[in-house]
Amino acid sequence: MDRVGQILRALFRRALSEYGRDAPTLIDIIIERAHGRLEPRIGVHFSNGYRTWSPLSPSDCYAFCERHGTWDLAGLRGALLREGHPIYAQMRHEHAAELIRQRRRRDELEMLRSRDGVANLLERLRRQADALDNDLIWRQREHPNAVGGEPERRRSDAGRRLWQWWTQQRDQLASSVFFLRSSTEGGSRKAQERGIQLLKQNLAPPQRQQFDRYGFFDVVGGSTGKRYRIRNGRQMNIEQLDKNGRRVCGWCFFPQGNLVAGDVMLAQKMALELYEIEALNIANRY
Amino acid sequence: MAVQIVMDRTGDTRHEFDQADSKAVTRAEERFRELTGKGFRAVALGRDGNPGKLLRKFDPQVEQTLFIPQLQGG
Repeated sequence: MDRVGQILRALFRRALSEYGRDAPTLIDIIIERAHGRLEPRIGVHFSNGYRTWSPLSPSDCYAFCERHGTWDLAGLRGALLREGHPIYAQMRHEHAAELIRQRRRRDELEMLRSRDGVANLLERLRRQADALDNDLIWRQREHPNAVGGEPERRRSDAGRRLWQWWTQQRDQLASSVFFLRSSTEGGSRKAQERGIQLLKQNLAPPQRQQFDRYGFFDVVGGSTGKRYRIRNGRQMNIEQLDKNGRRVCGWCFFPQGNLVAGDVMLAQKMALELYEIEALNIANRY
Repeated sequence: MAVQIVMDRTGDTRHEFDQADSKAVTRAEERFRELTGKGFRAVALGRDGNPGKLLRKFDPQVEQTLFIPQLQGG
């Protein structure tokens, strides 16, 4: 693929990751000449007003211009738009499909996280492990004299290794499911709802709108004026943003006591607005 | 009526008290001291999600006080 095609894809990816399900329509592709100390750059403009830019050097465009036989800015822009529209449409389609897949995965995890889900899973694993165990025992009973034989000994070794592998997988899966449950769950569903309700009551209208739409809201630090994005979650859910809205780093801090997600996010908002420096001193940066 | 909202595992626990009732105010002040002594931060909630105010001492005139447990790094 041309270098310019790769740049376009990166810009489209940025817009898609920014707007998720509400991916805007591509309106225009803009190429700006170098002026002053600024390098030439390429930007894409979307229906919701979002624009994103990337530096562009003449060497990036050479192969593309040659392929399209165009050597002026207007021609280049037209060719980029012709090529960009189908690429963006395909990426939007793939992005939507990926979001659906993620949703399914989340639902599956949700199911596993529920008490019944975990119990069922463990029961299923136990049954299958027992079945495998019984099978090995049965085989030994069936051929008691063949144990010393070379083929049977190999088969027995393979069975033992399979059994060890299976036990290991089972233990890992079981522990990861329990870890998942303990790390993400805090309180009952009712408690979760109360937490979200309390959070929403204490969000400013634009923050509430942002949270309902995208699952995150932005907060301005009370001491430094820096912008933070608090995502729906309980840990590792705070990002510091620069003036262009790009991530600078992540911060991880939360209130003690295994609180529900709504309470955690509200505590994080209050801390950043009212005692930012103290909160950041406690937090871990990542 | 004023309310003290304490964050906990059930979402929150609310303690309402009548600002005109001196006994209720005393109980609320005791609760304030007890919680802040445990490391909770007391915040007077602002209206419409505006940043509230950090309370260093009990103020019976504050309508909604939120108690946030001590923070820890993750």
